[in-house]
Amino acid sequence: MKKLNDSKRTYMLITIPILALFVCFNTIPLIRGVFYSFTNFKGFGSYDWVGFRNYIDLFTDSRIGGSYLFTIKLAITATIITNVVSLILALGLNSSIKGKTFLRAAYFIPNVLGALVVGYIFQYFFTYILPGLGNALGIEALSSSMLSNSSTAWFSIVIVCAWQSIAMNTIIYISGIQTVPEDVYEAGDLDGATGWKKFRHLTFPLIIPFFTINMVLCVKNFLMVFDQIVAMTSGGPEQSTESISYLIYKNGLSGGSFGYQSANAVVFFIVIVAISVAQMTISGKKEEQL
Amino acid sequence: MRRKNAINAVLAASLLAAAVLSGCSSGGNSGVTEIEILQYKPEAATYFQKVEDEFNAAHDNIHLTISSPNDASTIMRTRFVREDYPDIIGIGGDINYSYYVDADILADVSDYAGLADINEAYIDILEGLEIVPTEGTYGVPYVANAAGILYNRDMFEEHGWEIPQTWDELISLCGEIQEEGILPFYFGFRDTWTCLAPWNALAVCLAPADTCKQVNAGETTFTAEYRETAEKCLELVSYGPDDPFAYGYNDACTAFANGDSAMYPIGSYAVPQILSVNPDMNIDSFPLPASNDTAENTLNSGVDLMFCVTAECENKEAAYEVLDFLLADENIQAYIDDQNAVPCKTGEFKLASQLDGMLPFIESGNMTDYQDHYYPSEMAADALIQTFLINQNVDEFLNTFDTNWQRYNRDIIRQVQEYEEANNTAE
Amino acid sequence: MYEKMKAKVNWPVTILLFIGLITVAFPLYMTIVIAFKQPSEMTNSISGILSLPNSWSLSNFAQAMELTDFWRSLGTSLMVTAAAVILSLLIHSLMGYAVGRNKAHSKWYNFVYLFIVSGMFVPFAILMMPLAKQTAEMHLDNWFGVILLYVVFYMPMNLLLYSGYLVNIPVALEEAARVDGATTWRTFWRIIFPIMKPMHATVAVITALAVWNDVMTPLIIMSGKGTNTLPLAQLTFQTQFGTNYNLAFASYLLALIPIIIFYVLCQKQIINGVVNGAVK
Repeated sequence: MKKLNDSKRTYMLITIPILALFVCFNTIPLIRGVFYSFTNFKGFGSYDWVGFRNYIDLFTDSRIGGSYLFTIKLAITATIITNVVSLILALGLNSSIKGKTFLRAAYFIPNVLGALVVGYIFQYFFTYILPGLGNALGIEALSSSMLSNSSTAWFSIVIVCAWQSIAMNTIIYISGIQTVPEDVYEAGDLDGATGWKKFRHLTFPLIIPFFTINMVLCVKNFLMVFDQIVAMTSGGPEQSTESISYLIYKNGLSGGSFGYQSANAVVFFIVIVAISVAQMTISGKKEEQL
Repeated sequence: MRRKNAINAVLAASLLAAAVLSGCSSGGNSGVTEIEILQYKPEAATYFQKVEDEFNAAHDNIHLTISSPNDASTIMRTRFVREDYPDIIGIGGDINYSYYVDADILADVSDYAGLADINEAYIDILEGLEIVPTEGTYGVPYVANAAGILYNRDMFEEHGWEIPQTWDELISLCGEIQEEGILPFYFGFRDTWTCLAPWNALAVCLAPADTCKQVNAGETTFTAEYRETAEKCLELVSYGPDDPFAYGYNDACTAFANGDSAMYPIGSYAVPQILSVNPDMNIDSFPLPASNDTAENTLNSGVDLMFCVTAECENKEAAYEVLDFLLADENIQAYIDDQNAVPCKTGEFKLASQLDGMLPFIESGNMTDYQDHYYPSEMAADALIQTFLINQNVDEFLNTFDTNWQRYNRDIIRQVQEYEEANNTAE
Repeated sequence: MYEKMKAKVNWPVTILLFIGLITVAFPLYMTIVIAFKQPSEMTNSISGILSLPNSWSLSNFAQAMELTDFWRSLGTSLMVTAAAVILSLLIHSLMGYAVGRNKAHSKWYNFVYLFIVSGMFVPFAILMMPLAKQTAEMHLDNWFGVILLYVVFYMPMNLLLYSGYLVNIPVALEEAARVDGATTWRTFWRIIFPIMKPMHATVAVITALAVWNDVMTPLIIMSGKGTNTLPLAQLTFQTQFGTNYNLAFASYLLALIPIIIFYVLCQKQIINGVVNGAVK
């Protein structure tokens, strides 16, 4: 009994100071930010209390609405693409292949390249190379730049986002697959499980915690997409690729509507937490089932 | 236990490393006034480093520090929020200046003697930027830039093309150029801000200089003032590449530098980027003649860099001494040579050859500030213009512009109207 | 069994993976070629951009190193990244253990878990202004403050990772140690911490990468004081009206090398960790 209390106390002693640190540098500034969302603060100078005006405005602002639609569309598409590709890649990189270290390092590179490089190269790719290919192959749809057309520009952002995040998700899947004990496969081999069946019934159930992590990280990263927008389209064409974070940053910090965009950030925060909690609850239930 | 010690050691070491890194940077010294300038043009960092060294070598009683950080606008904002003001800030003459004046961050410098040497046109531009007329002067204009049309001088000479003086001449010139199988203009509209270059150059000629203020006062609408600008902007774009929204600023600069087009409607600020691609290129410029009445045509020019003393500055005398040094003729000449800029100070300066065609306008003071210096950046007027140039629907665009303006300028409009009421009752 | 599987090379997968590498190799090729070219060699034609530079001169690299004050910036970047990663590994794994082992049966720990993890979704922009003010008030507007903030910023994600990993570590291991009389604190450092090695490597890679590339935190906390980190120094290539891609790309390539080396080292840990820690 004494031992149990001792371990309980240790857990508390660990948790409290770390939680205090977190509250000090995350929660308190957030509360201050929420306070600004009820003002017309520009980011400097004096400001007035405006009550719920910012929040009411948010719901009548079609630009904000458009940015939510774009961001969610992007997040869903990019999450699916990223997870499918990185799971396949992780399985491939984890099988018995030649040049494993080299391949793993090479596939990691997209994640390290800065936004300026990625922006420049992909702009070039979409502006010149892809239309060039389209013309050469006689494919009408590809013959003009994807970035100058508001119905396709969002997808080019998806491609770039997925291209960059696949590396990180692959690492997480690889470390997940590593936790699957060898004897599980041995048992599977005896049962004659192969390929897809082996993955579906042996590997996948055991890496579900990592699947959850990846889903959450993807949704978080893509909902907060910012660098790629700045580097590729600066919100255009026709304001069709303005993400929520882009608006918050550009108008709140570079522009003069810090108060208004703080309100946007608060709403955005609530939306993502709701999505993520739902996501974690669903996959948590799945984990329990298995 | 050993492992635990090792971990503690690592922890202590990393904390120590962090503490060492943070260092201490207090330079306490007696009798010397410290003046700090924070200026927003990192591209001129070498110039300002030189000025700082020369100033400190020549002065014992004042120590000057000029910082030219990358992303200075964010740094300025964060320093303002923690109320840690530099003595002097170097900023551009745009709406941020209006906000800073309004927020009482800047000090009145109308008692500064050096203002007498500044071109009156630029002082007026600063006056115009104040949200409501405010007593005093809050900035010392240093250099300006100008926007219009850059052209390939060799190409023009080879074909015997003349510099157009009116809108009709410009359009017939474009026709001529097209007949030779050459593209008249290049655009890089994927970078939305570049849409503002032709827009501003047209608007200064076709709309009143104080359009935005008139709208704020409720006297007119953009639908009434901007229609011709919008229509002519569309016409210009038809002489550009097939899909101008596919290319960025950089692509357009490269294309123009490689002779893909005869002209490029952009500001003088683009010259260094173009020359980096083609150092031998012979570039000249002319103001965009938006009107057929030459009397209406004016050069689009605004304050690119000015120095403002902050209200928190403790020693204004010392700050003025620093300004005197910055405004010395040889220093201004060095700056404009380095940055291809237009001086705001009157006097004999040698301007870059790329500005030859704009010189008559500069010398006669026939200049009007960029309209977008009055647009709040969060309204994203550049994106609205890009959308319009894609959709080509003039009515819809003007309507959107007006409704967005009302939305994003609500506080300013209220302030302006309160001011007007207060002043009318006073009379 | 393991040895036998290792010996047999899966050639189709190997070949497919090498073909897939084109998606990485092509942008990398462009980066390298541009890093060696002069601005005057930049064109808007496909053949022009794909062609090799006129000369393989290292002058861009030399100039980029000079402009970014490379060695000093690199030193700062390395120090900050190392400090942030080490502190994160120690603090976050501890927190992951305390929270992860208890959240299933304790409402309080479950709340702490969700509370911290949801901190991941706070848009940074809303925190910036308050943090700039707060760190200045607390005299933390220095590198120490920046490192502290990193430990806080990456706590949600790392907590998620560590407590997720903990699910696959059997409780039986700790119970055995407790029977031997070890305290919870000792059990963690002697048994759990080493076993989480593959996760440490993953967390280290993710945290290091995020810190290494971060611009905003030092920008707003330091406000231009002190030495730059590499990404801060690299902003110098982008000005309002022009970008020198050639120098920028050269500089990016240089900044890429340390993080790739670090990644390769960590990768080995992920693999070795499993061989050593094979839980029986």
